[in-house]
Amino acid sequence: MKCLKILLVAAGLMIFSPVNALASDVKVIANWSVKADTISALDLKRVFLEEKISLADGTHVEPVLEKDGPVHEVFLQEYLGMSEDDLQTHYRTLVFTGRGSMPKALGSDAEVVAYVARTRGAIGYVSSAASTERVKTLAIWVPSNSAERKLITRVEPDYPETLKRLNIGGTVRLRVSISAKGNVEDVELLGGNPILGESATFAVKKWVYAAGRSRTIAEVSISFGGH
Amino acid sequence: MYRRILGLVFACFCAGQLTLQAQDFKLFDRSVEIHGFASQGFVYTNTNNWLTMNTNQGSAAFTDFGFNVSTSVTDKLRVGAQLYDRNLGQLGQYHPSMDWAVVDYRFKSWFGVRGGKVKTTLGLYTDTQDLDFLRTFALLPQSVYPTDVRDATIAHLGGDVYGNVSLKHRLGDLFYTAYAGHRSDSIYGGVAYLAAQYQVYFSSYGGLQYGGDLRWSTPLRGLLIGASRMNEDVTGKAKAINPLNPGAGFVPYSAVSKADWTNQFYGEYTVGKLRIDSEYRRFVHNEQDQSADIVLVEISDDVRGWYVSGSYRVTKRLALGSYYSRYSVTSAAGGLLASYAPHQTDNSLPANHIYDKVISARVDLKRYWNVKVEGHFLNGYEYSSYPDGFYPQVNPQGFKPNTNALVAKTGVNF
Repeated sequence: MKCLKILLVAAGLMIFSPVNALASDVKVIANWSVKADTISALDLKRVFLEEKISLADGTHVEPVLEKDGPVHEVFLQEYLGMSEDDLQTHYRTLVFTGRGSMPKALGSDAEVVAYVARTRGAIGYVSSAASTERVKTLAIWVPSNSAERKLITRVEPDYPETLKRLNIGGTVRLRVSISAKGNVEDVELLGGNPILGESATFAVKKWVYAAGRSRTIAEVSISFGGH
Repeated sequence: MYRRILGLVFACFCAGQLTLQAQDFKLFDRSVEIHGFASQGFVYTNTNNWLTMNTNQGSAAFTDFGFNVSTSVTDKLRVGAQLYDRNLGQLGQYHPSMDWAVVDYRFKSWFGVRGGKVKTTLGLYTDTQDLDFLRTFALLPQSVYPTDVRDATIAHLGGDVYGNVSLKHRLGDLFYTAYAGHRSDSIYGGVAYLAAQYQVYFSSYGGLQYGGDLRWSTPLRGLLIGASRMNEDVTGKAKAINPLNPGAGFVPYSAVSKADWTNQFYGEYTVGKLRIDSEYRRFVHNEQDQSADIVLVEISDDVRGWYVSGSYRVTKRLALGSYYSRYSVTSAAGGLLASYAPHQTDNSLPANHIYDKVISARVDLKRYWNVKVEGHFLNGYEYSSYPDGFYPQVNPQGFKPNTNALVAKTGVNF
């Protein structure tokens, strides 16, 4: 009976082992020629499907893949929403109709980092544990209404008493940086009343999101006074 | 027949010994890519001969191959070309053609232009119909993608404007293509082969082709819907024995279409390992054939086809698929030789339709090498003025209403 329990615990540990989660965490990296620090999940997909050859700031971009492995699998599933088979079919369609090229596919994190570091406009992905000092890491931006990073804990901001009494309200817009674990790392006021913005920032820093595959950026709007 | 099967097995064995991969090299610091593909098929039918092959005895006259070279000259400018050759029964006969040769400049994601010999965008698969390694099936639904007249729609010498636009409010993406150019059919294609039964021998067949395609990648993940339109104005130049005066020998002959058009509507849904496609195509063809300024025959064909297909990747190496395809032609003829192209109005007759039920299995032996086995259960043989797989030249005994076909095919790509 004791052996059975040990076996069950061992099996449970194998099933829920954090090794898979660690191995599958992905960060998106780019050559330093890429000016942006963030990229939306949608744009990232378009870059990798060769539907987009430059970012909004005009920077030319080129996708770089890992050949296979858990990081590649997670990237396909999370960011492209397609299987390896479908992705290869997509690239072959481009190549054999003269509409695109086969992206570089490399065998390891180190090779991807090295290639991205020396290739202008290159964007790739590697395990979050990989050393990426020679390249920049892009945060993935998700719209505030996106289901991709679910808000788990929401703390409502205080409506400053003076402003409330004077009936001064409005909407503030915040740029929120969310860690892979779901904590809010940084909040930047994009627009709205600065006093309301300060209150909103203080509250949003206590928010907790569902864990994701990488650090993401979200835009959040908070209204005060029924606006 | 056994020799052919052995040949196919030997070809498979040889392919298995190779390790194929795309080649690339640097030229002026730019990467030049070389890719290629080849396939070899075998078809056996129990009754009618199909696709101009002697399939009744088993035929391996089903070969094609191509290779391409391409490079990005700058970040926005791409050039490339692909050579293609095939032999399908009496068609192709190993006369190579430039499949595409393109200069492509992409100003922005939402606007690009390409010129040269450009693959035509029409429905889901017109531009990729030769590339059977992209899908589960050995033969695409012949109601919409007839392989014997592939060159009628495959490419045009001209230009495209194209791009994609993201819709606001996360409503998905729109992809557009508009094109115009000159279509040029192979004289070794189905149209010329069908005409040869009347002792009409084409030296050229082609003309203006223009149209567009709009497809919407919807907010529902994996769902794509779209519509295509093509207008054509085609002229064929031929020599022919005038049936009204056979003793006079060959005389110049021409076939001129009067504003042919094609509409195609399609949808594709991919969820997990399952892929479902459906398309509808209507092709309206009006042709006037004349010799020495005398109109010999005027033909009007209304060709309609549709299919629903599903394929499922069972394992990394095995995919299964099935489709149902329906094809029918309504036609009318006038002129001195109208009796050679009788009216067809009742689509329930086997002579006026082809219904095809298909089951298929694909095995990926290696990443670059696949083998497919497919069963076709065909009802009807649709014999009209427009080619559609069943030809009298290879069925001199007449047509049977039903045909069962076994298609085996292997292909490599790199």
